[in-house]
Amino acid sequence: MKSIVVAIKDFSIRINDRRAFMMMILMPIVLTIILGSALKGVMGDSSSAPKTIIALYQQDQHPLSKQFVQGVLENTQLKNSIVVKNVYSQKELNQFIHEKKADVGVVLPKNWGTQLANGKTEPVTIKVSDGKDFEANFVQQLTESYVKTTNAVTASAKMVLSDLASQGKSGKELKSIGAGLTNNLGKEAEANASFVYDKPVGKNQVSSLQYYAAAMAAMFLLFNAMVGGKSILSERANLTLSRMMISPTDRVSIMTGKFLGTFLYTMVQFLIFLGATHYIIQVNWGSNPGQIIMIAIAYSISVSGLSMIVAAFMKTEKTADSLGGMLVQVLSLLGGSMIPISVFPETLQKISKITPNSWALNSFTNIMSGTSWNSLIIPLCILIGIGIIATIIGSLRFRMISN
Amino acid sequence: MLSISNIKKSFGHHQVVNDVTFEVQKGEAFGLLGPNGAGKSTTISMICGLIPYDEGDIQVDGLSVQKKPMKIREKIGVVPQDIALYPTMSALDNLVFWGKMYGITGRRAKQRAFEVLEIVGLTDRAKDKIETFSGGMKRRINIGAALMHNPELLIMDEPTVGIDPQSRNHILETVKRLNEEGMTIIYTSHYMEEVEYLCKRIGIIDHGKLIAIGDKTELCNRLAGGHVLELIVDNPNVDLLVNLENIEGVENTNGKEDGTIEIMLSDKKNILPEIISLCGTHDISIQTIQIKEPNLESLFLQLTGRTLRD
Repeated sequence: MKSIVVAIKDFSIRINDRRAFMMMILMPIVLTIILGSALKGVMGDSSSAPKTIIALYQQDQHPLSKQFVQGVLENTQLKNSIVVKNVYSQKELNQFIHEKKADVGVVLPKNWGTQLANGKTEPVTIKVSDGKDFEANFVQQLTESYVKTTNAVTASAKMVLSDLASQGKSGKELKSIGAGLTNNLGKEAEANASFVYDKPVGKNQVSSLQYYAAAMAAMFLLFNAMVGGKSILSERANLTLSRMMISPTDRVSIMTGKFLGTFLYTMVQFLIFLGATHYIIQVNWGSNPGQIIMIAIAYSISVSGLSMIVAAFMKTEKTADSLGGMLVQVLSLLGGSMIPISVFPETLQKISKITPNSWALNSFTNIMSGTSWNSLIIPLCILIGIGIIATIIGSLRFRMISN
Repeated sequence: MLSISNIKKSFGHHQVVNDVTFEVQKGEAFGLLGPNGAGKSTTISMICGLIPYDEGDIQVDGLSVQKKPMKIREKIGVVPQDIALYPTMSALDNLVFWGKMYGITGRRAKQRAFEVLEIVGLTDRAKDKIETFSGGMKRRINIGAALMHNPELLIMDEPTVGIDPQSRNHILETVKRLNEEGMTIIYTSHYMEEVEYLCKRIGIIDHGKLIAIGDKTELCNRLAGGHVLELIVDNPNVDLLVNLENIEGVENTNGKEDGTIEIMLSDKKNILPEIISLCGTHDISIQTIQIKEPNLESLFLQLTGRTLRD
């Protein structure tokens, strides 16, 4: 009961800080509009790729190389985004890049297709024009995706053929089956390449506005870990925490109250943001509000738990402000709130899995694209787990300091 | 009401409270005097159960602080040395919150908050935020928060530090009235006159030890001679102080930067001519001479060799 008293007190202090509250609500909405508009076209809007001019030096004429060029780079779904200009020497490609006639140069080396057919990978050279790293990254991902899918297709085809051979099929039959199989699976490889960028799990593409609404929610809610932590540090510095501790209230109730205060504020902030983005800038948060609320609850638990860590491991409000602020920004960057995770190198993408905001953001975008409850079980468990573990660590450390 | 027996507390190798024993009766106002770092606040923190003691025992109404902390906390109200309030909340909301922390719920909390505002004389500022208050008003609400649950024992840790005389008088009057109505008070302060005004019994604590305890008259009678001669001189020097202490009948001296020299006399024989002559020898001219009645300040000086505010 007293934990509720503490929680309501904390909530009322924060909600009455009009300036801070407006910042926590207005800023994410403004940033959603700016980033969503600026990066329109990067995600599942009118096209799924940034506008890119590719200078292509195709040294290899193997069918797989041709398929990559025609089926992926010149794919009709990417025609609004990618323009391919053929060049016929390395020197000409360098000149295109140097003179900025192309954003990205791609060299398909000799025997690239042959090697690919044998399940091996010959590296594709990608040249980048100044300031076009984003586009280069995109082309690199298209290429890697094609290579991976083709390798998988080739390996599968070989396995099927070897199985058929063991059943006594003739060489002619096997050749015919193999050609058909490779052709069909190859089409799959082309198809996959078109949504290598920010592939949604559901049926619907997620627009940049939707993505950044989710991203800003994940980032700005994460700031509550710092605000909640600072609130405990402030109580410690102003001796109100000591005063609470000499009242007939046990420490668990006090800390639960602090946790609930942050949780309550985070939830209210999210609900206001959800309503504002939905009604003011028409962000579609998906067709299942229950899923969104469940992820918001789990993420708020996570954030509230992290506030305990901030309070337990930082000594002053000033440290929490500077270090905590920095930490939130790093986590936001890693979690995809600033730049979509899909453009990160693979290692960073793996690292991003440890950030709660990354799980929240991915879950929000997945719900927007229309996901199932089953696919949300893992993110829900992870977010709640982070919250519980952080609370336990924070409380133990806090008890140690208090003693 | 309160019984402290041989309590000890160390932080690392530093013994902060060393074998302190005293009792406070129900309805009594007890003063705890001592300079900064003497161990007063640590003793208070141990009474409240905020800091555990290493040895000994503290009992409130027969209950051990370490065994029944929650029961005891319901009986105690603590006014901390610093303002422990929420500056962005109103005076009323602060009081209601602290009332709820002591188990007062619903309308009763608000009703009691208004009663307390009346006691501390700030009813007209009920809805104003604490951050808009003067230092004295904040101190009064700080006291009010400790009164919300109408405690049997009110512990006040230097409640008048840094406030204007008007607020100080108001606080002293309020505490006096609460004590007269039956509330047991433990009052710690640097200000001797506050303790003398409020408390019948006084304990003097220094370097973690209780060096004297008793009522004011008893304590002053302990002074050898008891009189203090205060000189205000031009350019005092260390040699003069040393030579003054060599005069028969001078117990102790204390020189201050402003030229004041306090001389503790061990007997009442007239040694004034000798002192004046010594000042002349040191080529020091005397501006004023005053003989003070024995008081707690002089007792403290005699017992510790320093003043309370050193």
